[in-house]
Amino acid sequence: MIRKTSSLLVLLLFSFIAVFPILYVVAMATHDNSAFAQRLTELDWMQADLKNFRKLILETEFLIWLRNSVLISVTVSMVGVSLSSMAGYAIARYRFPGHHWILRSLLTTQMFPASMLMLPMFVVLTQLKLINSFVGLLVVYSSSALPFCIWQMKGFFETVPRELEEAARLDGLSAFQTFYRVILPVASPALVVTGLFTFMTSWSEYMIAAIVLQDPALYTLPLGLKSFQASIATDWGLYAAASLIISTPIVVLFLALSRFLVSGLTVGSVKG
Amino acid sequence: MYAHRKVLADLGREFEAANPGVKVDILYRETEELRSAYQSAVMGGSGPDLIYGPSDQVGPMSTMGIIAPLEKIFSPEELAEFHQLALINYRDHLYMIGDRIGNFLMLIYNKKLMKEPPKTVEELTAIAKKLTIDTDGDGRTDQFGLAFNFTEPYFFVPWISGFGESFLSADGQPNLATKATVDAFTLIRDWKTKDRIIPSECDYEMANSLFKQGRSAMVINGDWSWGDYLEAKIDFGIAPLPQVKATGRWPTPLVGTTGYSLNPNLADDRRETAIRFLRFMLSSHAQEKFTQQVSTFPSLLRLQASDAVKSNPILRDAVPIMARGKQMSVAPELRAVWDSLRREYQSVLGGVSEPEAASRRAQSDSLAQIQRMNETLLPDGTRWIVLALLIGVLGYLIVQSLKGIKAIRSARAGSLKFAYLMTLPAVIALFLVVVYPFVFNILLSFSNFSLMTFRDWKIVGMQHYISAVSDWSFYGLLLKTLIWTFTNVFMHMVLGVGLALLIDQTLPAKPLWRTLLIIPWAVPQYITALTWRGLFNREYGPINQFLADFLSLPPLDWLSDPLLAFTACFITNVWLGFPFMMVVALGGLQTIPHDLHEAARVDGVSAYRRFWLITWPLLLPVLKPAAVLGCIWTFNSLGVIWLVSNGGEPADQTHILVTYIYRAAFNLYRYGHAAALSVLTFLLLFLLARVMTKKEEAIK
Repeated sequence: MIRKTSSLLVLLLFSFIAVFPILYVVAMATHDNSAFAQRLTELDWMQADLKNFRKLILETEFLIWLRNSVLISVTVSMVGVSLSSMAGYAIARYRFPGHHWILRSLLTTQMFPASMLMLPMFVVLTQLKLINSFVGLLVVYSSSALPFCIWQMKGFFETVPRELEEAARLDGLSAFQTFYRVILPVASPALVVTGLFTFMTSWSEYMIAAIVLQDPALYTLPLGLKSFQASIATDWGLYAAASLIISTPIVVLFLALSRFLVSGLTVGSVKG
Repeated sequence: MYAHRKVLADLGREFEAANPGVKVDILYRETEELRSAYQSAVMGGSGPDLIYGPSDQVGPMSTMGIIAPLEKIFSPEELAEFHQLALINYRDHLYMIGDRIGNFLMLIYNKKLMKEPPKTVEELTAIAKKLTIDTDGDGRTDQFGLAFNFTEPYFFVPWISGFGESFLSADGQPNLATKATVDAFTLIRDWKTKDRIIPSECDYEMANSLFKQGRSAMVINGDWSWGDYLEAKIDFGIAPLPQVKATGRWPTPLVGTTGYSLNPNLADDRRETAIRFLRFMLSSHAQEKFTQQVSTFPSLLRLQASDAVKSNPILRDAVPIMARGKQMSVAPELRAVWDSLRREYQSVLGGVSEPEAASRRAQSDSLAQIQRMNETLLPDGTRWIVLALLIGVLGYLIVQSLKGIKAIRSARAGSLKFAYLMTLPAVIALFLVVVYPFVFNILLSFSNFSLMTFRDWKIVGMQHYISAVSDWSFYGLLLKTLIWTFTNVFMHMVLGVGLALLIDQTLPAKPLWRTLLIIPWAVPQYITALTWRGLFNREYGPINQFLADFLSLPPLDWLSDPLLAFTACFITNVWLGFPFMMVVALGGLQTIPHDLHEAARVDGVSAYRRFWLITWPLLLPVLKPAAVLGCIWTFNSLGVIWLVSNGGEPADQTHILVTYIYRAAFNLYRYGHAAALSVLTFLLLFLLARVMTKKEEAIK
């Protein structure tokens, strides 16, 4: 009993620490800008209002950014999941020349200091005429999430018993049909995790978007958010309100899928 | 600031209405991002037609050849209508025409709290002391005498001139090893630590919001802030920065201009339209609008005597202040001066170094930086090594891909073909976005790509690598990076596994705990990292408040003490990273059969020993790869340090390798050098991961 109580207390403490910074953002979002230089305990919570949210939706292009972000993130997730599940499956099940090469490079590409790929990436996109378009962003986002996702999927496919495929092949399904109809449904937890991961990276990525997108009508949420943050004066109230709205879908997704996360995150199930 | 943008947008719409078929897109970026985005855009052959910004970008941009000379577009008569300060020439060409002059610092005071502005520095200190008040007696200052962004050199250099020397010599070279610099260092340091009239941690935002709330009697700020203060309904007056009694001099504010430059890559018709728009934005009509709505000081001479200026008390008061000013230098070298000065100045403020030594170091350091910035490397013998290397790698790749193609060919209509087809799309995508840029980056690292060679760089050899490995500071950074990586991953592990174990016990509301503890991972990093910066704030941050209320500790300088700032980054990163490990550990715990534990329990094995005998060995295969991945991510985590320490503050003490590279690349335009550093960083990380996985054979 004592052990249970103390466990609960520790969990409570850490949950508080985990959530506290978010409360701080809530405080900023529901007060005017002066909240910035005041202590939380001195804030008058009776004064809290939703002015910033109203301003955000009515006076800025927030809804356009939201649409762009949803569009990009959803597409990126789909592309990322399909590419990585295909590649992950092939790597998990077949030994072909270059197999090792691909596996090695998956971990290696994670090691590039990302900030240094910016300039060359920009040059590539310019040559392909993909600057200032969603397609350019789509290409970059889907690819940069790939290594982790392929690794993820491969790890999961390795835990799937081979008997499934053998049975399907005996029933006369082709290799691709087997993959598509038999294996993918089994792999749904991993697909969810991979999808979530790609969605998350593209939903909150700023640096690449800032270089690729130049037209304000194409801005994604992080770019829009950044535009509240001027070198001269940041509108912290708007910033915080936008932060909350941006975070909400991700948090909801995470919470809804946290069961899948636990069962589908296969960083660990690496067998030779 | 917003008011400015609004007027700009209105004028854009007006121009569209007058010129059917023309669409004006206005894109707002912060100064720093404006520069880097514009640079990369023009390099790629695109970018906006006009760029509007502060005059100091003229030096670097004209050197890179990404803005076009304007003297052929405007006639001498037209140019004569502008104030001299608004015409920005660099190396005998005109690159920018300002629509306003100003951007100079002054003393702004709250008339409610003081009637007359101070005339001398001594007076200012005395008045500010009187007005620094702790109203509720809780031991914290509630109203400050003075607030300004004092850690930023730009707000500091006017004082050097007050003590009798300019910080730049007549030919634009740094002049920092002077008694004046030492005196000015001492003045600000005393304000912070002895007189305590300024908040001991005060960035621009803080100063601005204190003054807007009437919680600071005076603020040192530029004319750009007037609109903001008018909007906040502060009854303020402006005055020159006060005189230094000892020298009898007034600090010289640097006067700049904000104006337009033209993109050189425009097709003829576009160029025509852009120039038409440029003329429109510089016209007296547009300038008057700005003057009326946001009180800017117009750059057209005939408007400076207009009623719009004369009837505006603030602008009227600004004229004599500006008259004392000096044109802001636009040379790219200024960057290096700011950089070195910032570092030394912040270490004086932090009590780490003495003014005397710091002023000497700032001088020698800025000279060294300027030399580095302006060096154009010439090809030397090592070029042949590079060439041989490249040919070797290329040959190897060709052989390998031929083998691959052969393998695909011989893959008889069977399973292998299928495998190749399945992996092909991913491989192509990776090649395009990751592999090719990486190779390009390696090429850059052997090149002399920098400010001077922006449009015609070439491969010169191994110089960058040689200079990087012979620089001692590189090893210091490496050590710091390793410490950062291992301590972070260790904490992620301890917290992650510990919490997973707690959740995994048959507790009530398992999903609830899991969800709450996942939040740090779920909220986008750039939001939470900035939030943590706020939490660490010395005066108002909840963290110091907690330390004071519960542990009765004095407030800590989280963001201005080097070690504490690094700790602040560390705490933030631990908070961000433990949920990932926790989820991995939870997944691992699920795979451990329950009856193992049961059997051990029946045999009377204690919980502690059960963990070490059963849980830990079974968790290990799951945790190891996650730890390797965690190390790789942490080693390269740019965002957290950048956001929490505001780009390496104080005094560039909080850098790890990646943040330092980022700074080197974008601050001093040393792209080739930064590329070499990044390749080295990658190699080191690669080695580290190899060592870790070799031991384990965890990843095959």
